[in-house]
This record gives sequence, structure tokens and C-alpha cells, in this order.
Amino acid sequence: MQASRARLFKEYKEVQREKTADPDIQLVCDDSNIFKWTALIKGPSETPYEGGVFQLAFSVPEQYPLQPPQVRFLTKIFHPNVHFKTGEICLDILKNAWSPAWTLQSVCRAIIALMAHPEPDSPLNCDSGNLLRSGDVRGYQSMARMYTRLAAMPKKG
Amino acid sequence: MEDESAASKCDFSNDSSCSCPICLGPLIQVSYLDHCFHKFCFNCILRWTNVVSGNHRTPISSVKCPLCKRDNFSIIYGVDGTCFQRHYVNANVEDCFILSRAHRYRLQCYYTEQGFLEDIFNILQYWKSCKYNQPNNWLQSWLTREIQALTQEEDVDIIVHHIFGVVKALWTSREQKSGINVPENKQEEFKMSVSEAARPFLGARTDRFVYEIQLFLASGLNIEAYDAVYIQRLGWSSPGVNTEVSQNELIDRSTVIPYLYIFDDDSDGNE
Repeated sequence: MQASRARLFKEYKEVQREKTADPDIQLVCDDSNIFKWTALIKGPSETPYEGGVFQLAFSVPEQYPLQPPQVRFLTKIFHPNVHFKTGEICLDILKNAWSPAWTLQSVCRAIIALMAHPEPDSPLNCDSGNLLRSGDVRGYQSMARMYTRLAAMPKKG
Repeated sequence: MEDESAASKCDFSNDSSCSCPICLGPLIQVSYLDHCFHKFCFNCILRWTNVVSGNHRTPISSVKCPLCKRDNFSIIYGVDGTCFQRHYVNANVEDCFILSRAHRYRLQCYYTEQGFLEDIFNILQYWKSCKYNQPNNWLQSWLTREIQALTQEEDVDIIVHHIFGVVKALWTSREQKSGINVPENKQEEFKMSVSEAARPFLGARTDRFVYEIQLFLASGLNIEAYDAVYIQRLGWSSPGVNTEVSQNELIDRSTVIPYLYIFDDDSDGNE
């Protein structure tokens, strides 16, 4: 408990110090609970998520960093490895490939990389996975773009 | 040693080589993984190792480095320039060989002044009274432990076999010409042959080793009795009893006299 708190505090200071280092990621710690974080990440360019801003919720376990944080999308996203309803993410480094050398910041980077490179063979969103696996890249892209526009872009008017 | 002082110096700098990748804080009790040599706090990497092995149903023998994913079999810690300690990922391997307290006591003997036991175990008397004509049954076991302690290796059979063979050859050759040689010559012959046999493996510790082996032979005691006398004279508590206190004591002594014997090989030949 004490170790995780100390480590999260170090990460908090690092985030404050390097706020402008990675313009695609904005990590914010909950005001009253250092184990709750949210992040805003920009959809990577040249993907159907470009132009969208996606919100992630981090729930950090007390054994952190020996155990991975739980991360899910709060913003709706159409992606083979993200559960369409719950926002749960299927990513190896958040499960058995976790290493304590990852930080919340680097986890965000890994999620951005996952957005750009979906893994249709381990889908949490079967519709999305099936489109890609059947080779219908255009179908997947247009669905993903539509949801990005609906859920991840500021509404006009 | 360097790393510890470096870690305390650069707490505030941004140099990632000075902070532990697990706690992100300054390195406390610097430890290394044995294959990739990435640095961590001892407690941090130990906890991670325990978490990883806890996730497996069967015991694991290696752990992947959190930074580079290379397989590593042990954590090296307590590096003080003279010795280091090792924590094996697989506890069974650890049971097989890690310097035991008895080994450590032997190693510490090499940091003491030579000769403080000569009033009890008289080496000269041993040669004069031709006691060497009675072969010592415990010598081989004693050699094994001694060389394990000095080389910090488990498998020393070949070295022991070699040195023991040289000693045995001396015993038999002495029997043949026992009437000719005076005790001093026999001692010199023994010293020369044994140090010649041992030097390639023990380096600068050879001379003291040759002295210690004579001391053991002169005692005429078995290993337990010999240890008891030795330890009592050193004023240390015996191995196995009250481990915590005496262990600290042993470590203290090793830091008081910071000889780097193992690395002295080159200077040795020039003297």
C-alpha cells in the first residue's frame, strides 16, 4: 500500500513536470484518490480514430506496480480489442505480460499503439474483429470513424 | 560500492540509471539480475520475483527482467567489492549451494592475521614429529569446503581432486624417503607443491591457503572440533547459533579489512 502510494506520487510528479512532453496524452489524477486516474488520449493520425479524444479510466490496485492497473475506455470506441459496452481493453501488457517497469504514461502510449494496430484475432468486439478478419477494412474503418465522430469529437452547436 | 554512492548522490537528477525502474525512487540496496545486469532495489526485484513465481503453479527457475524481458536465474546483491550474495529465483537451487555460514566463517578467516592459533596447533611440531605419516581422513571434506568458500563455486570437485592428489603423492613419496629428508625440507616441499597446485585457482590467496591447510593438518582434529577451536579463538559465536547477531558480526569484520584478494593476482607474481 505504502509502496504503491509512493510510486504513484512519483508518477504524479513526473506527469506534472513533463506535461508538454507528450501532447497526445493528458493524465489527470483524481483530486481525492491517488489510485484513481483519468487520461485523455488523442486518436492516432491516419486511423479512423484521428481527430477524436478518448477518455480512459484507470483504477490502480494497492499492489501496483506489481500488479497492472485496470484501464477501460470511458469514451465509446469501435475497435476489435475494446469491449463495445464496458470499454474493457484486451491488451497483453495489462494482463500476463505486465511488467512493473510500465507506468501509467507508458500504458497510455501502448493503448494508442493498440488503436493504430488492432489485433482482430483476439477480439472483445466481435463485429469489429469479424470485419477485419474477413478483409473488409473499409467497413471497419467507416464504422470506427462514425463512432469516433459520434462519441469522441466535441459536438458542434 | 560505486553504485551505492552514485545512487545516493544523484537522487535529484533525472538520470534513469540511478533510480529503480520498479519504485521509481533512488536505488536502495542495489541488486542486479544475473544475466542482463539491470539494476533494481533489492526489495523491489525480490517482491516482483515472488509475484511472478506466485502466478505459476509449479516452481519457476527464472524470471524475466522487467526492463528487457531476458531470463534471469538469480538476483545478485550485497556487492561490496570482496563478495556478493545471491538469491536464486528457484528456492531449490538456493538449497543446493549458497555460501553457508560455515563457508563464510572460513572465508572470513582469510581476513585475519595469520598465526594467532599457532600456540594451539603447532605446525612446526607437526612436521618435526612426522605426524604427516598418519593420513588425515577429513582432509578431503575440509578441502572441498575451503575451496568452495574461496572460489564461491559449488562444483569444486576437480580442484579438490587435484590438490588432494598432490598432497597424497607427497605422503607416499615421504614414506619412501622418510629417512633422508629433514622436517624443514619436507615442509618446504609440501608448501611448494601445494601452492603450485592451488595457485591457478586461488590466486593471491594461495599462500594463506597453504598455511591454513597445514594448520588443519597440525590440529589433528576433525572438522567440527577444528571449527570450534578456531571460532572460539576468533571470539565469534559459532555457526548455527544465534544467526542474526553473529552474521552481522561477520559482515562487520569483512568490511573493516577491505582486502581485494581475489583481484590481486597480477601484483602477486611481481613481489
